Amino acid sequence: MSGSGSEPLLIDCARQQVRVIGALIVREMHTRFGRHRFGYLWLFFEPLLLGAMIALIHGFRGGDSVRNTFEFFSIGYIMFFAFRGMINRASSTITANRGLLYHRQVTLPDLFYARHIIEAVACTGVMAIFTIAGIALGGEPPDSIVKMLCALGLMVLLAQGIALVVGALTSEWEALDRLVHAMSYLMLPFSGLFFMVEWLPEWMQAIMLWVPTVHIFELLRDGQFGDRFRATYDLTYVAYWILVPHLLGLVGLRLARQRIGLE
Amino acid sequence: MALELIDVHKSYPMNIGRKHVLRGVNATFRRGERVGVLGRNGTGKSTLVRMLGRIEAPTRGKIQSSMSVSWPIGLAAGFQSALSGADNCRFIARIYDRPVQATVDYVESFAELGEYLNMPVNTYSSGMRSRLGLAISLAIDFDCFLVDEALAVGDTKFGRAFAARIQNSGLIIVTHQPSLVRQLCTRAAVLDQGTLTFYEDIDEALATYNSL
Repeated sequence: MSGSGSEPLLIDCARQQVRVIGALIVREMHTRFGRHRFGYLWLFFEPLLLGAMIALIHGFRGGDSVRNTFEFFSIGYIMFFAFRGMINRASSTITANRGLLYHRQVTLPDLFYARHIIEAVACTGVMAIFTIAGIALGGEPPDSIVKMLCALGLMVLLAQGIALVVGALTSEWEALDRLVHAMSYLMLPFSGLFFMVEWLPEWMQAIMLWVPTVHIFELLRDGQFGDRFRATYDLTYVAYWILVPHLLGLVGLRLARQRIGLE
Repeated sequence: MALELIDVHKSYPMNIGRKHVLRGVNATFRRGERVGVLGRNGTGKSTLVRMLGRIEAPTRGKIQSSMSVSWPIGLAAGFQSALSGADNCRFIARIYDRPVQATVDYVESFAELGEYLNMPVNTYSSGMRSRLGLAISLAIDFDCFLVDEALAVGDTKFGRAFAARIQNSGLIIVTHQPSLVRQLCTRAAVLDQGTLTFYEDIDEALATYNSL
């Protein structure tokens, strides 16, 4: 929807989109955490608390393999937490922001991008805190921080693609929301959070490698622990899981924008 | 500079079949024109406004615009009601690339909201909401303001200030109140049964509207 007779330049569109997403981020922070000065800290506190609790429960069960260390669970868990949060929140993204669609430069994908950027920043921050805490608790520093950040980036993009699809679908069929919540919860044991592929029997390895998050967790552990494990991942496979849902989701949201009533 | 509607149709899916709200609307709104569109309840006034604001696509036909048109300013439109008036102001200033503080200052001086500017919009009366919407849009400044039932614009201090402020801008106001059209507009149209009919003479439009 161009503003004037001549088509606007791509760079102007990009600038406008950046502006809108920036404004949406500020607005989202205000609605989610209030306007109190320390409200933003909740953004980090919630995953921090959850990740730490899970890690402590697993950590105190004894044994001294890497599986039982603090880093294995804490960082893995917050990544899964971000993944699940992005997908579960997708169904409310459009309804919560419906009033803003009165401004024609606010597009449906922008609403999702803004939320996802917040999620990614929170996750990165908490990941840094856990990494430092892990070292302080006597663990070794990570083998490759770049690999860890790549894993986080891929996880966010994977969740984003799925969230766009879920957002488009739930705008038409609201009931799907419940299914999404159940699925994202039931996925936990198969996500790759609790195991390394090399620990599994061979027949199960082949099955588990169909799950895209398994590859991402393997990459994360490769970055965290380096040679202490044999990590198995195929990033091309993950790329397909990112690209195809993005395409479907963006097309779906374009259709949804024409169909949703504003009042 | 103008906003043009060319054979615009709009229909919505219903339980059985489709509801045809607009059936071939043709119109040209030029820059600086102040047009009142009169319509009874349920004749598709709000639908028309959303089309003009290009936030809803027509089922058929075309909408062309070569001037800047505001978002449809109304009671609920364009706000996040859990946030304060000032926060909404800042958000809108950001997305339209206007200086944030200047926008807030303008709204503070124009909207007559007092302390309520820092209260959530969902605590506002309907008059306050429309004053906020109108004030923000005036601060952003458009070639043409698009207003859907601005209740507060009557013969009040705010109403007179608003009328004075838009003397040099375009306005499209969609309403069921003939008095508003008489107060603010230079041209009038009546929306009935999915078509829009323009009248050069405002009295003629009002007479037609009253006979509906």
